Amino acid sequence: MANKREYSAADPEQTLFTAKLINVRPLVNMLRTISFRPRALCTISPVGIVFTVEDSRCIVAQAYLRTTLFATFNYNTHLAHEQNKVQQQAASFSQDREDSSESDGINEATQIVLPLDNLIECLTLFYGPSGAGSLSGFTSSHHVTGVQSTSVLLGNSNPLDLRGATTAHIAFNGPGSDFELMLEERGIISVCRLATFVPEPPVDLEFSRFPVVQQLIIRSEWLRDAFNELDPTSEAVTISISASAPYFRISTIGSNGSTEMTYSKDEKILDSFFCNVEQENRYKLSQILKCKQALAMSDKTKIRVNQRGFLSFQFMIPTDVDVSFVNFVYAPLLYADELVDGTETHCV
Amino acid sequence: MRFRTVISNANLLLRVVQSIDKLAKSAILKLTPEKLHIIVVTDIDSGLQLWSDVAVHALFAEYQIESLHRNEIHLEFSIDNLQRALKSAQGAVRTTMKLTKKHGLPVLAIVVQNLSITGSEMTLCQDVPIRVLTPAQMDMVREPLVPDSQVHIMMPPLNSMRSIAERIKAMGDRVAVSANRDGELTIGVANDLVEITTFFRGLENLTYDSTQPSANPTPDRGPTEFYSAVVDMRNFVRFLQSYHVAPKNIVCCIIEHHAVVFYVYIGAAGYGGVGALNDQACGSLTYFIPVRQV
Repeated sequence: MANKREYSAADPEQTLFTAKLINVRPLVNMLRTISFRPRALCTISPVGIVFTVEDSRCIVAQAYLRTTLFATFNYNTHLAHEQNKVQQQAASFSQDREDSSESDGINEATQIVLPLDNLIECLTLFYGPSGAGSLSGFTSSHHVTGVQSTSVLLGNSNPLDLRGATTAHIAFNGPGSDFELMLEERGIISVCRLATFVPEPPVDLEFSRFPVVQQLIIRSEWLRDAFNELDPTSEAVTISISASAPYFRISTIGSNGSTEMTYSKDEKILDSFFCNVEQENRYKLSQILKCKQALAMSDKTKIRVNQRGFLSFQFMIPTDVDVSFVNFVYAPLLYADELVDGTETHCV
Repeated sequence: MRFRTVISNANLLLRVVQSIDKLAKSAILKLTPEKLHIIVVTDIDSGLQLWSDVAVHALFAEYQIESLHRNEIHLEFSIDNLQRALKSAQGAVRTTMKLTKKHGLPVLAIVVQNLSITGSEMTLCQDVPIRVLTPAQMDMVREPLVPDSQVHIMMPPLNSMRSIAERIKAMGDRVAVSANRDGELTIGVANDLVEITTFFRGLENLTYDSTQPSANPTPDRGPTEFYSAVVDMRNFVRFLQSYHVAPKNIVCCIIEHHAVVFYVYIGAAGYGGVGALNDQACGSLTYFIPVRQV
């Protein structure tokens, strides 16, 4: 280890990406909603950062952190162009490609893979020995005892309690360098460096490629009730939406019997409801339950199903600045006699 | 061999024993005419060691000790047993301790006299089983020889360092403890995926004179350059988790490639200020954490 230690913030002019957070809690809460895998794809662009986590090609979760969530946000687009150009040239050189027209559409975003669990550990360094003051009751993905409302989760009556808050300076200088955090609380400074990895082609469940045939917005507390009723011994959960009664039903069949939650089209419960095609789709329950933390933090949830039966939950999470979004997309389970060869993605 | 005494400051004695509670199951008690020493050796080569001494006059009255070996007595005891016995002595009217035999086995007999609510006397006898060590056995227990340290610095509030150490302990099996002469102390951990260094600033450095009367090596580095020793994470966390008899009075000394040593100075009331380092100190605890051998 070097004898001289440095802990000054990186220079925004010289660095690809720098940002500052007055309080890390909103970021930590957002990251925890998608922390069911150790690694995440991090996409940085002029509009913000998106963290993407994928599992078994049947669930993709994304947390969108817009620039408004940060006190300062500096993304050096010019440097990004340079770096992406170098990377593309290196890639096409090694693949021996003749076609140089690819270089015209250089993406101005930067993508790297980060160890997400370590990132959260670093951000919560000053939280105290047990990580108290955080969503500690929900870090386990397999013990589903119940989902509570946001204010209880945040542990106190003031959801914006920023006492003893950690500030963070973030810096990243492009693929090949470490992702750096400089955290400070009450005069103590921690400098963290996280290893980064070159991303593999991301799994894209292509939700938007197919028309959305069903949609509704439901207050999250209702959906939390439904989730609490689901039988955890059931392999699958069925979501049925139709233009006639029963409009929206969630059901499971397990060793304890069957459960069914039905919602009427009442405006007070379901908002912006439409259904062009009546469909009933099944999804793997254990994967569906991975969105419980995001559900717990949100006020409202937008549910959409596309023509292929893929399901999207969009959770609207209030932060002190505005609303942030976390998205979960699920591939449906297919019955054995419906399995099709080819390029379609199936959840098994 | 004879030993009997009145414990006049049961509170201080309890707190000294409590500070070793998490380190090991048993410890060595060395009694001399002037001092009481408690020694814990967790592992002779690689483990944390604690050597402590308290002046007899700060703990005892009517102190009598006699033995064939320079009037010293060496005992091995269970920390938990002694701790429990001393707890019952808190606030007592009179507590005595003596070395004796019960049912043919050597014990430290602690007799606590209290007044009940009605005013009558209550006497509680607790026998702490001990093993007497022979002079030959005691000679094998030697305080580690440590070269002069390169830097001495007062520790920051222990609870903040402890809570951070608890968070980083899963990230590596060793921790680098570093300090400079500019009031900065750092702890660092690293593995394949993450590297974390935490800086505590604004701390007080001590000059050589106050702690070591021996030779003063010329500093070979600038004041902001760090001296560093890499120790076992578990030993470091165990030290931080211990109850501390004087948590504001801990000096950290780093001897590169050798050890990290923590000195705690105990004033008569147990909370002496920094001044207690020299004049009013009635005792000290020294924690040795050796550098981790690859």
